[in-house]
Amino acid sequence: MKRLMNISGSIFKAGLLLLFMMAMWQPVAGQDTLRTYGPRFGIDLARFVFILADPSEMGAEASVDFEIYRNLYPVFEIGYNSISESEELFNYSASGIYARAGFDYNLLSGKDRSQHHSFTAGARYGVSVFSHSAEDILILNGYWGDFEYDSYEKELKGHWVELVAGVKAELMPNFFIGWSLRYKILLNPDMDPLVKPQLVPGFGTGGKDSSFGITYSVFYKIPLFKR
Amino acid sequence: MFLLLSLLAFSCTSQDICFEDSVSELVASFKTETNDIVSDTTISGVTVYGIREDQPIYLLYDSIDVSEIILPLDPHHNYSNFVFQVNNEADTLNLTLKLTHSSEVYLISYTCGFGNLFTLNDIQYEEGVIVKDTIINPLINTSLEEVDEHIWLYF
Repeated sequence: MKRLMNISGSIFKAGLLLLFMMAMWQPVAGQDTLRTYGPRFGIDLARFVFILADPSEMGAEASVDFEIYRNLYPVFEIGYNSISESEELFNYSASGIYARAGFDYNLLSGKDRSQHHSFTAGARYGVSVFSHSAEDILILNGYWGDFEYDSYEKELKGHWVELVAGVKAELMPNFFIGWSLRYKILLNPDMDPLVKPQLVPGFGTGGKDSSFGITYSVFYKIPLFKR
Repeated sequence: MFLLLSLLAFSCTSQDICFEDSVSELVASFKTETNDIVSDTTISGVTVYGIREDQPIYLLYDSIDVSEIILPLDPHHNYSNFVFQVNNEADTLNLTLKLTHSSEVYLISYTCGFGNLFTLNDIQYEEGVIVKDTIINPLINTSLEEVDEHIWLYF
């Protein structure tokens, strides 16, 4: 939670800065007033910063969205997550891929449609296919003697839903930067009743049934057409 | 830079403490049955030993009056053996109690580590002191609640 508060505090300030930039944006006289449409691809930079804070956890995430209807953006996200930790009584690791699909709705409905800044609210459905394992398990037992167990491994599938709020600012034509804050609810927390996974890729760590998440991403929109 | 410093600050976290034992224990309650009515009973002068292969026997209860006993199960075998000694007015009665079980490991918590989850399959004993048994809850883990009862032993 401390980690999340630290991160979200910084992201919140970055978001305020983005909102301020968006509020100050004025179209230049003679500038193109048509709106650009095309698929927008993004990479989550926060994953790379997380590695610096916690080298045991690694991940990467990419996304694509497209404004198919006024202010409505279907979104598809894919990623990879892994964790490897050495505890006193066991070693634990988990890794796998995930995908999310959903939509964002832009709440900034300015008259100037050539501006692509957005403040969005949306939802996602996520699925993860992953494996987790524990090795060198030692169970202390004062009666019968300590019990050693070589390895426990299981293939799992997790799924969850997310509520998402985010900001994107167009810093240069078709080049965006933005963040999102997410609240996630795991739909099958008992996927492994014996060993609760400490990482569900795409959902989060800590073996909790709900979690918060953040992304801090850069995006590039391929300009297919204007209207 | 501020974001980076915030993330690095997270690495200083407090260590959680485990308050749960990693030994799985079976709770055996003592009963009597008269005219199909089951009632709790207290047995006087009960001594219980755990019988461990290649190790000295382990004294669990030493001549006490009890209505239930707690027996740690052996994770190294698919059975746990105990010897009961019950003092009555005339004599000391001995019997061997053999609990047959299967087991698998499970994660108690990330802080506490793993424990053994036993499934009790069978109860064997010599006829005499114990006249009957009932398995109430065959699953035995490291969490002992006050309401837990795994088997009833009838005297």
